Amino acid sequence: MKAHLILTLTLAAPALAEPQVPVFQDQTATSGIAHAYTGDWEFMVGGGVAAFDCSGDGLPELFFAGGTSPAALYRNQSTPGKLAFAPQVSGLEADRVTGAWPLDVDSDGVMDLVVLRSGEDLVMRGLGECQFQRANEAWGFDGGDLWSTAFAATWEPGATWPTLAVGSYIDRKEEAFPWGSCTENRLYRPKGQGFAAPLALKPAFCALSMLFTDWNLSGRPSLRVSNDREYYKGGTEQLWHLEAEPRLYGPDEGWKPLKIWGMGIASADVNGDLYPDYYLTSMADQKLQTLADGPGKAQFKDVAFGLGATAHRPYVGGDARPSTGWHAELQDVNDDGYVDLYVVKGNVSAMPDFAKDDPNNLLLGGDTGFTEAGDRAGVASMRQGRGGSVVDLDGDGRLDLVAANRNAGAEVWRNTGSDTAGAPLGHWLMLAPQAPGANRDAVGGWIEVRVGERVQRRELTVGGGQGGGQIGWRHFGLGAAEAAEVRVIWPDGTQGAWQSLAADGFYHLPKGDPAIKR
Amino acid sequence: MQRRSFLTGSVALAVLSLTATARAATRDEAAAKVLSSWYRLALELVRHTATMTPPVASRALALLGVGAYEALVPDGRGLVTLAGQLNGLTTLPDRAPGQGYDTAVVLNGALETLVAALFSNTGPTGQRAMAAMTAKMAEQAAEGVAADVVAASRSVGAGLGAALLDWAATDGGAVIANQGFPMSWAPKGTPGEWVPTSKIALQQAPLLPDWGRNRPFAMPALTDMVALPCGIADPTPYSEDPGSAFHTEALEVYDTAKALTQDQTHIARFWSDDAMLTWTPPGHWVAILLQVAEERGLDLTARVEALARMGIGQADAFIACWAAKYRFNTVRPITYIQKVIDKAWTPLLNTPPFPEYPSGHSVQSAAGARVLTALFGPDYAFADQSPTPDGVPPRSFASFQAAADEAGISRLYGGIHFRPAIVEGAKLGACVGGFAVNLRTRA
Repeated sequence: MKAHLILTLTLAAPALAEPQVPVFQDQTATSGIAHAYTGDWEFMVGGGVAAFDCSGDGLPELFFAGGTSPAALYRNQSTPGKLAFAPQVSGLEADRVTGAWPLDVDSDGVMDLVVLRSGEDLVMRGLGECQFQRANEAWGFDGGDLWSTAFAATWEPGATWPTLAVGSYIDRKEEAFPWGSCTENRLYRPKGQGFAAPLALKPAFCALSMLFTDWNLSGRPSLRVSNDREYYKGGTEQLWHLEAEPRLYGPDEGWKPLKIWGMGIASADVNGDLYPDYYLTSMADQKLQTLADGPGKAQFKDVAFGLGATAHRPYVGGDARPSTGWHAELQDVNDDGYVDLYVVKGNVSAMPDFAKDDPNNLLLGGDTGFTEAGDRAGVASMRQGRGGSVVDLDGDGRLDLVAANRNAGAEVWRNTGSDTAGAPLGHWLMLAPQAPGANRDAVGGWIEVRVGERVQRRELTVGGGQGGGQIGWRHFGLGAAEAAEVRVIWPDGTQGAWQSLAADGFYHLPKGDPAIKR
Repeated sequence: MQRRSFLTGSVALAVLSLTATARAATRDEAAAKVLSSWYRLALELVRHTATMTPPVASRALALLGVGAYEALVPDGRGLVTLAGQLNGLTTLPDRAPGQGYDTAVVLNGALETLVAALFSNTGPTGQRAMAAMTAKMAEQAAEGVAADVVAASRSVGAGLGAALLDWAATDGGAVIANQGFPMSWAPKGTPGEWVPTSKIALQQAPLLPDWGRNRPFAMPALTDMVALPCGIADPTPYSEDPGSAFHTEALEVYDTAKALTQDQTHIARFWSDDAMLTWTPPGHWVAILLQVAEERGLDLTARVEALARMGIGQADAFIACWAAKYRFNTVRPITYIQKVIDKAWTPLLNTPPFPEYPSGHSVQSAAGARVLTALFGPDYAFADQSPTPDGVPPRSFASFQAAADEAGISRLYGGIHFRPAIVEGAKLGACVGGFAVNLRTRA
């Protein structure tokens, strides 16, 4: 962390002992969004939100899981400074939805959506203009009938069709003794222009989050699975080799058992070693894992305590019981060049051992670790949070926040800058790689942004979080720098050329061609 | 004619008697099913309720044991009430004379009431499981029983459970805040004192520092956690000097950990009994009892008697152990070894977040062995089938004492205790277990 921080001084001048706290304005009431994730026991987990552009205007729509209520797509009609959404009849109005992730499955340039349910999962083909059509049969996708709760996607080397991982939770038919009844996780591999029958990933330990990630920059992703220890017996967090026959990493490779109430995975390079680090949400202490002994071993150490990122109990509101963390994202919300951390919190239901009034966290990265600023930033929601998104909703280049809540309305906050009048934070870039042919969004690739000697590297992933994720503009904070060098490392390992881009712009990054400013 | 009539009457009485006996046996079978079902659920709830750290779990299992036992006392089985024998338990509710009661329904009413209260902090899945069990057991226990008897029996059982909860409300263990961890903790800075051993924020204070002030069940009450009724030797004086006794003890832990055999590793993991991942140490010994009771075909009366003794022995063991732990407040091996011997050293097991001396496993396992030995004899060989984390296979023992000894030494193999904590802890546990063994349960 220290080396990273020293390097960062060249980026974010002057270096701030205390990170700049961005101001968020709660625009829920006027946003047009009125949606709750509803339900009892069977919908105590999940409840995510997916952010993606299906209208073609460059602004992300929001799709909310509904539990016992119909899922809902909200079309983004925001203008800079004003968040505005309208309900969109789209073909996505399924019930029993727990989560959703956008993915251009057939690489036709129109975003599709994978919808997880307590019941049959769905792949929904995007038709354009935010219309969707069930594609399970057309693409050979066996949606099963489980309580699905986790998702990740990647393109394996040379593949023209994605590989999907779907994690599931408890056998929902078990009433008196559900513990130990974790149902199978499934791996869907390509078969022509569709999917082969799913491969069971055994053992399964009640997954609540999954992420394909190239943790050691080997050129081939592995599959991290975060599992809920409440329900497994003999289980642990998992890391799978994504081979012809997937196999688990074991102790001989450095992988150490970790038993947490694993609920969400967020990933970014926090310590500046250019390898992805992983934030794992749980109950009480959250975990922040970095490589313990270099990329030769799949061994991670928890650095959350030292960096002030445990987020283990409410920091405001007077309820001192331990917290319950769900969705997490590592993004730079104050554009200072340090990744910040957004954690959506909320009691599972009414567990007396855990906080009822459990504010969401906004932990700002700084020169001594993370500093809590959720209350000062105005985003310390006490609702029973589940899903979330850190995404620019109004196209002004600043990252806004979304919280999807259980049995309570979803919330949106607009990032107004360093004050309510819109004074700027740092500089930023919004980048969108574009690959020809399959895997148009370069999932599994990397974007590198260089200012001076320091490089920020971000893996392009689909998965993680709690019940939802996003595809769209990739945001980088630049601090005081008015330009940065940018390149893409494509999923096939090809390294794009460095090119200098002026700050505060949206750029498409076509493979093999210069960046195109929007 | 008179003789024939007499014989006919005798036969009729005999038939009636046999019928009554058969019915009683059937009701005992129903009650045994109630007992085993609620205990199975209770052990799962121990694992799945955040409040249920080992001391708290021991209290819950003790109250369940006393409840199951007392539910059967008025049945004319020759059992003697524990009221008047357990600290602070002076009386229990009387039953209305002339009213028929059903053993299974009374027992179910008591256990249902106790489980609901003792595990009220469990999450939505535990709540759902308790509701399902309540409905299922109410139906099963009442099968073939007249409605008025069911109503009266359930009321009596619930009343018993409520009375026991009232009694327990003042024992010091009824309210657990912040999962047992104080909101703040200020070390005194004394060399050799316990300090936090993990980077878990919640565990920067030690678990339940006042648990040793709780009112024991059968053991005499402690005074300010100092006057332990069984006594315990002082721990080895702290020293960082090479060649000192303390340094030598630390070296033993360090050297053992560096050369662990496969069997030692297996032993350490088998007995790890981690909170929130297993049934915890008291649950482990209750599970051993339930297994042996099944193997031996113990009748219902003997089962509740054994469960009461085991629960009480475990609860008192934790109170005595915690009193000693916070009296001495000693450092864990990880702290000492990393400071004095090898800063990169880590033990096989996660170090529990409370002081080292004496070893909790040693105290409570010795107490458990004392209870089981009194019930089943000193040479009862068994294979412990209790579910273990990570699929660790069962282990076989020549006696309960052998199992307790292994549980104790497992903590040295796991790198979380020095040897004196194990040796002296076992002595303390055996003594404390004697109070449960010496309770009078038969007329």
